[in-house]
Amino acid sequence: MTTAARPSPIAWLIAPAALLFVLFFVLPFGVMTAMSFYSGNPVTNPNAFLTTRHYERFIFDTAGIFHEALWSTLRIGLITTVISLLIGYPLAHWMARMQSRLGHALVLMAVIAPMLTGIVVRTFAWMTILQDKGVINTTLMQWGVIEKPLPLMYNEFGTIVALVHIYVPFMVLTLTGVIGRIDERLEQAARSLGAGRLRAFVEVTLPLSLPGILAGSLLVFALSISAYVTPSLMGGTDVLTLPMLIAQQVGTSFNPNFAGALGVILLLVSLTIVVAYNRILARLAGGQGMA
Amino acid sequence: MISRRKALHTGAGLAALATVGAPSILHAQTKTLKITTWGGKWGEIMKATVLPAFEKEFKCTVSADQAFPFLPKLQVSSKNDPIYDVLHTNSNEQWNAVTEGLVMDKITAKEVPNVADLYPYAVSDKIVGVTIFTSAIGLGFRTDKGLTKPTSWKDLADPKLAGSRGGYLIPVNSLGQAHLMMLGKVYGKGLTDLDAAYKALEALKPIKLVDFTGQMEKMLLSAEVSMGVIHDSGVYRYEGPNMQPVDFASPSEGVLALEQVLNVTPGSKVKELAFAYIDYMLRPDVQKMLAEAVWYSPANKKVKLEAKYDAKLLTTPEKVATLIQPDWKWYNARREDIDARVTKILKG
Repeated sequence: MTTAARPSPIAWLIAPAALLFVLFFVLPFGVMTAMSFYSGNPVTNPNAFLTTRHYERFIFDTAGIFHEALWSTLRIGLITTVISLLIGYPLAHWMARMQSRLGHALVLMAVIAPMLTGIVVRTFAWMTILQDKGVINTTLMQWGVIEKPLPLMYNEFGTIVALVHIYVPFMVLTLTGVIGRIDERLEQAARSLGAGRLRAFVEVTLPLSLPGILAGSLLVFALSISAYVTPSLMGGTDVLTLPMLIAQQVGTSFNPNFAGALGVILLLVSLTIVVAYNRILARLAGGQGMA
Repeated sequence: MISRRKALHTGAGLAALATVGAPSILHAQTKTLKITTWGGKWGEIMKATVLPAFEKEFKCTVSADQAFPFLPKLQVSSKNDPIYDVLHTNSNEQWNAVTEGLVMDKITAKEVPNVADLYPYAVSDKIVGVTIFTSAIGLGFRTDKGLTKPTSWKDLADPKLAGSRGGYLIPVNSLGQAHLMMLGKVYGKGLTDLDAAYKALEALKPIKLVDFTGQMEKMLLSAEVSMGVIHDSGVYRYEGPNMQPVDFASPSEGVLALEQVLNVTPGSKVKELAFAYIDYMLRPDVQKMLAEAVWYSPANKKVKLEAKYDAKLLTTPEKVATLIQPDWKWYNARREDIDARVTKILKG
């Protein structure tokens, strides 16, 4: 006689997260993908028909802006990720190795503090700093260092500065946890065997922290390429990203089908980059899968 | 056989149930009107004064959505049971909505009696639904920068304003779209002369572009721009204690209309109530209250505003005649090409 297999307790614990994932990602993404293959909304418009024209519109890009928008999105995402890593890694390493609990708590608070303010507020704060009549340009002009305002805003530079400020805490928090778990004695052993401080870091600590680098980078990259508010406010006419185009298609061109196609394209391209990045890091780490 | 005690208990229970259930039964009988409306000062007055008075008079409840954009939400709701009964937007969105059969084509005095008292522009062939207010799109400028008051749209192209003139991200802002058409009229053969408009737009570079009017107000107030395209109410509202060194100029070629339009969804279950709401919004006393609160020009000819508002807003047939209404049906049909072209022009 056989008894029906009971689901394990772990399955019950995972169930809420799985349900949320299905409800708020799989289902909306499925609807979005289906919409991207229709000429209109098939629920409200009986004349809507299946088509690939939204993808063709992007691929052939007769308008001459879509490919540039995709490249711009990825470029901003990559630069933001690299700069966040360069700023975040030393900070995370310092925090992870800090002996003083009070010091660690204070630095942690300093890292988290910006996250207590909304992205819109932080972006507007950057606007008051970087705009032509902002703090930097006004000060430099008063000191006679420059005659005309420096172009600090309404371009990719301003957008990346604001994005890095917003996303560095995500990088630091991810890296701190991973670096904190690396046994310090491994580095000490390397040094006692003759390795210098730099070599011990490059050959011991850095490879062991690769999972944190991967997780932090993916997090920052994903957040950067999907950012809407900051590129919209800081980018002016110089920056056009896919999330801006998607918002434009939904909110002002009222074309959710093309917006859906742009969303699918952005996700596919991002996944391709993530998989490639994962493989490269896995190879660097000695052939072990990283994620 | 039912005993007297049991009968009394049952009766008391039913009475209690009726008492508890009565509000919900009453509520079920009360009609609900679902509308869209703006936020800010407009929204405050609507929620504090206008809507409660309407609910009391028409014995209904009004559910007001202030979370913009409205049209995408209407697009995904059922046409037979739409998310809104009354759609309040600017004119160009109404043209998008009517193309998809989401709103009515025209609203006449037959459905809304106060329509008979409106200026002609409010129900012209450039309007889907009915205009309840309009603003004038012209040029806002700083009065502390030594600039002479602009008299023409061409003044925005003054080389002195390089880098300190302001406009809009045309694909996402109807003021920017209307201004593009105006460039066609001022520099070419008319509002639909896009080649002339593109050339004139190129000549406006370097220009600071924003995506909504509130941001243009901030740019003018912070002197980030010295002159920019804006609607009159976006400047006039900084009067009195809020006085700022900014003013509004109506160019001689005419001002563009930024209409506040109401329309009814064909599938509304409370269409009569929806028409009554539009009629209510067109009443002279309601029009006066809202016009003086947010500096919108009332569409009803019978409205008499206080002198300071009357002096600046479009309240006479002569002043109304300076309004130019863009053909949004024409524009929306070419929108994809225009968006791509202006994006390329303004990039870099």
